[in-house]
Amino acid sequence: MNGVHDLGGMHGFGPINPEANEPVFHHDWERRVFGVAIAGFGGGYYNTDQFRHAIERMGAVEYLSTSYYEHWLAMLETLLIERGAITKQELDARREQLGREAR
Amino acid sequence: MPVVVTKDFVPELVRTGGSTRVHKAVAPRFRVGDHVLVRNIHPEHHTRLPRYARGKRGIVEHDHGVFVFPDTSAHQQGEKPQHVYSVRFTARELWGPEASERDTLRLDLWDDYLDLVV
Repeated sequence: MNGVHDLGGMHGFGPINPEANEPVFHHDWERRVFGVAIAGFGGGYYNTDQFRHAIERMGAVEYLSTSYYEHWLAMLETLLIERGAITKQELDARREQLGREAR
Repeated sequence: MPVVVTKDFVPELVRTGGSTRVHKAVAPRFRVGDHVLVRNIHPEHHTRLPRYARGKRGIVEHDHGVFVFPDTSAHQQGEKPQHVYSVRFTARELWGPEASERDTLRLDLWDDYLDLVV
């Protein structure tokens, strides 16, 4: 798939500046996404290649403007709905509820 | 389909990064030292063949062994296990005459991405 994920050789993205003493997770939600992703592997919902391809299937603009673990979250949303572990309605309802609680 | 995720499963998965190595005897199509031409393919499905390497020539430097083929595995079309090689390319082959003469790059490439240059 000739998508934006295949960045090798492209210009204009600026330098790569690794953080000194970079933590494993920058936010607690990243730790959770990692845990759920591992559980999904263990549960047999997807394999490594399906995992990667789900990230490639993100919209180009969304892919380029979101972080590493946001890509993992997009993968979880796509594949867990496709595999029938959750429904889109459940996801939307939960997102709405969290939005209400945050206000 | 779902199985129980146990405690001992997690460190192993994190350590290996979910390796797709397959312990099966599959004949390699290439040997170390072979000159290969990367296939110029543009599949709409998943592939681990970067665009910038397509149509380029390299030399097989190392045989990693047998692995699941991502192009089929990503689409529930089977493991199609095959050899993966570290293939060496010169920077000039990939990026043209303005690239450094001394630089080289290695890519891990599956059997199905390559043809032999004779």
